Amino acid sequence: MSTFEGVEHPVAVARDRDNVVVGNEIVRHRLATRVIHWSVALTFFLSLVSGMPLWTPLFGWMAYLVGGLEVARVIHPYAGVAFFIVSAVQFFHWLPDMHFHEDQKGWLSGKALRYMRWEHVEESGKYNGGQILFFWAVCLGAVGFLLSGIPMWFPLRFPVLLREICILIHDITFICFLVGVAAHIYLGTAAEPGTYRAMTRGTVSRRWAKFHHPSWYREATGEETRK
Amino acid sequence: MSEQALEIKRASASMWGTKTGLRKTPTVAKYIDTTTCIGCKACEAACQEWNDLKTVNTQQVGSYQTLPELDAEFWNLIRFKERTTDSGDLMWLMRKDQCMHCAEPGCLAACPAPGAIVQFANGIVDVDPTKCIGCGYCSTGCPFDVPKFHKQTGKMAKCTLCVDRVQVGLEPACIKACPTGCLQFGEKEQMVELGNSRVAQLKNLGFKEAMLYDPAGVHGTSVVTVLGHGHPEWYELPVDPHVPWGVRLWKQIVRPIGVIAAFATVLGFFVHYGKYGPKEPPGGVDGRAE
Repeated sequence: MSTFEGVEHPVAVARDRDNVVVGNEIVRHRLATRVIHWSVALTFFLSLVSGMPLWTPLFGWMAYLVGGLEVARVIHPYAGVAFFIVSAVQFFHWLPDMHFHEDQKGWLSGKALRYMRWEHVEESGKYNGGQILFFWAVCLGAVGFLLSGIPMWFPLRFPVLLREICILIHDITFICFLVGVAAHIYLGTAAEPGTYRAMTRGTVSRRWAKFHHPSWYREATGEETRK
Repeated sequence: MSEQALEIKRASASMWGTKTGLRKTPTVAKYIDTTTCIGCKACEAACQEWNDLKTVNTQQVGSYQTLPELDAEFWNLIRFKERTTDSGDLMWLMRKDQCMHCAEPGCLAACPAPGAIVQFANGIVDVDPTKCIGCGYCSTGCPFDVPKFHKQTGKMAKCTLCVDRVQVGLEPACIKACPTGCLQFGEKEQMVELGNSRVAQLKNLGFKEAMLYDPAGVHGTSVVTVLGHGHPEWYELPVDPHVPWGVRLWKQIVRPIGVIAAFATVLGFFVHYGKYGPKEPPGGVDGRAE
């Protein structure tokens, strides 16, 4: 990969090029990737604040953020459809990077817990196995939300039993999503400093890349690191 | 609520109603005797008039029945069914259909809008259209398929058991209009007593399978129906109605687990941060790469 040390500004490079070293930074997410990611996040957030007050009155206060429970009930399905559409775009945008490598198996059987104890679990490429797993879980969840949401949107056109099953699927999918997204936000901000800027500025520091994604760092810089 | 004279026992999506328990409010009930109903539909007309519901276009469904189903603007429907008996005779069954005002209302259990469906201390289950969000969950929860949606208002509508009349000591409009006395109104205990004596009478007359329909699966209903031939399904009534399992599983198990999971996750990450702290290379992420 080529470097542009002192020639171009990292933010400018990050508009349209990925995995490029610019001075002390490496471009992790080009602009298109970031716009898609934040579209998914925004539509998810809209679905969240309009859906949670319908889920339980414990979160009824969230309805005031969108103008009341009736409004929440009206916008929730549209926000959900928008979420599905941008998630589908995200799926195809990210798919080439999201194949599991041989050494990335076993995240569900222990690796995830070891990772959360900050143990070294794999020599990570651009995405570690946990991130790839999260990607697939989000895509599967988006499909689950859409399919179970349609009978909930037009309840009178579907048999009662199907509606009951769909409510349960929608609920269980949501609970998994909630835990997953909370972990995603935690790891992307407080837990791993230097990560969040990958989704704002688009770049990460060399030290961050070398520490978290050594294999990707080697590819991007052409440098040899130990192990 | 507009019905200030009535205490609310339970309200949808709420921890509890406004019932203080200081005043004794008897459970009221409607008594329907299908064996003395003559199918005159006076109750249908009285319901439309008292509740200011507009006239609906009737539909010819091959019987005297006004409409195939209840409607958001038609809360009281006489169902006409024809059956052939084992001996080859014809049975012409008529049953007044409306909200059953369950003691354990599935609509109320399923409703996500606080206070949109209420159960008054006297057992009447009512909908508050100002709080209804028109989501349709009540229809999923109802084992009798009673709640209907008004296309213009987007709100659920159903029989109120004339709560506005009952709270000032009047009988519901349908009862008032009935010319044969097959409809009666009073305290639930009295109506059950009346029903049981009528069933005993019918059995003496040779209606061996006569029964009083007051289904235990929903802890009884505030509409008790004498079925001359037994067999609720012959009258288009569910044999063993109960709040759907899916709704109960959802509200009583999955949702509490979800709420706990939500708070536990957020709390868990605070604890995690306290224990493991941020994960970063020695010297931070921003120093020069070696």
